[in-house]
Amino acid sequence: MSKKYDTPLLDELEKGPWPSFVKEIKKAAKKSERAADELGQVEKSYKTKRGYWKHGGIVGVLGYGSGVIGRYSSLPEEFPGVAHFHTVRINQPSGWFYTTKALREMCDMWDKYGSGLTNMHGSTGDMILLGTNTESLEPIFAEFSSRGWDLGGSGSAMRTPSCCVGPGRCEWANIDTLDINYALTQEFQDELHRPSFAYKFKIKTAGCAVDCIAAIARADLSIIGTWKGDIKIDQAEVKNYAKNGMDINAEIVDMCPTGCMSYDGKKLKIEDEDCNRCMHCIAKMTKALRPGDERGATLLIGSKAPIVVGAMLSWVVVPFIKLEPPYQELKDLIRKILEWWDENGKARERIGEVIEHKGMRSFLEYVGLPPVPQMIKEPRRDPFFFWAEKDLK
Amino acid sequence: MEKEEIKQKIYELLEKSKGKKKLKEKDVIKAISEETGVDKDTVKKALREMIDVGKVMYSYSGGASSVEIPSEEYLKEKGLL
Ligand code: HEM
Ligand code: HEM
Ligand code: SF4
Ligand code: SF4
Repeated sequence: MSKKYDTPLLDELEKGPWPSFVKEIKKAAKKSERAADELGQVEKSYKTKRGYWKHGGIVGVLGYGSGVIGRYSSLPEEFPGVAHFHTVRINQPSGWFYTTKALREMCDMWDKYGSGLTNMHGSTGDMILLGTNTESLEPIFAEFSSRGWDLGGSGSAMRTPSCCVGPGRCEWANIDTLDINYALTQEFQDELHRPSFAYKFKIKTAGCAVDCIAAIARADLSIIGTWKGDIKIDQAEVKNYAKNGMDINAEIVDMCPTGCMSYDGKKLKIEDEDCNRCMHCIAKMTKALRPGDERGATLLIGSKAPIVVGAMLSWVVVPFIKLEPPYQELKDLIRKILEWWDENGKARERIGEVIEHKGMRSFLEYVGLPPVPQMIKEPRRDPFFFWAEKDLK
Repeated sequence: MEKEEIKQKIYELLEKSKGKKKLKEKDVIKAISEETGVDKDTVKKALREMIDVGKVMYSYSGGASSVEIPSEEYLKEKGLL
């Protein structure tokens, strides 16, 4: 297909050393009418400084309320290729491991039914396929599901849970993030595909506090691998780091957020009861330091990007939980958490916001978690020890 | 109450709210359960059966979901009419 539109404004975005979405869409436009018209419409937007996408409505696969997001052009006559330009979300495998065969199959299917444009990976986690029409949705779903894929979450649903690569590639994983993520995805199929909440709910699992999945900043429930007990120190390796030029006091000891380390030029010492397992020292001195042997996770609640109120970071609610298959305790707790949120949340309120106005006390009482010192979010924040009437007798 | 009767009530409620108020699944289940005295799980099952055959569909706006009766035009596009 020859080039349909001149795109002088978009062409600017191809300059410079960075990857450019314009370059990629132009490639797709050689094969796809949809991608070509997408370029045309976006160029027009840049010129007129107006958006021409309409959004939402009833669009989906029969029985599902998630996984397809309706998009339409408000200029269908001018750009017929994007009259419909729906997004399809495909539930990614834990840790984003694909075979090249699976990726080829997926791209072929998307060339057949869609614009050929994908977003690998959106921060939502799902594999995001951009640009198809309503008629193609059921055939797309049939083809994908016959190959073992399923749609991901969207709208007021549990969003597709995601996790870091964890034990798949990383020696720091304190928990099997891949297995936990898969187990939760299976457990919450109904919540994922049938949006029945007031708003979205995201679960992200990181193997350690390095938090490569950024759970602490963007998941309603963050599951972050940790350990109990002392960090294991190999003093000979500490010496090696020093010998090879590491300034242990400046780079490790002074950077420890709890100030629980000391180094006299010979021996590295850690006051483990004060360590908050932030991973800084272990990540810097991989050969010298190892986490303790009793592994589990910290559960945190409530992070989100700004919508109803500003951005929020997660808040510790369970300092340590053992996570072993079938993760029943975790699943039961999540159900309780969802119940409380669903009961108390208003439209478009994430759980962090509900905790903010209903209070952590009400949350803890309902889900049955005891208040503990680790829950103190910042100095001077009240740790929710309140006396109820019955305690005063 | 017969399941068909519950479904009829759900349909009427959604028809009444069309264009006026976006109802979430939960709103429908709560309203019908209160009106009929039938427990929420049964109402939910009836609603889900309607969703499974496209009598009622999920809709989406600004990141939040609701349930609605689909238009004829949409059903035609989907090849269901
Ligand atoms: C030159 C005199 C003063 C200095 C330099 C001073 C300094 C400070 C500082 C640095 C804080 C901590 C602020 C924070 O980290 O949040 C503070 C808090 C406080 N000061 Fe003062 N202060 C002075 C006089 C006073 C006086 C005269 C009073 C009471 C009559 C007072 C009552 C308080 C209270 C109640 C707080 C705690 C506020 C809170 O955190 O909610 N201060 N002061
Ligand atoms: C019956 C009397 C009092 C009660 C019930 C009371 C109660 C409280 C409470 C609940 C806090 C907040 C603690 C927190 O959340 O961290 C507080 C902090 C404070 N109170 Fe009082 N207080 C009383 C008397 C006083 C008096 C007489 C003074 C000073 C002359 C005083 C000075 C302060 C200061 C400076 C703080 C801030 C401490 C900090 O955060 O570093 N209080 N008080
Ligand atoms: S979060 Fe921790 S365990 Fe997971 S990949 Fe990153 S460093 Fe490894
Ligand atoms: S893990 Fe973090 S808090 Fe603990 S000793 Fe190392 S740097 Fe300090």
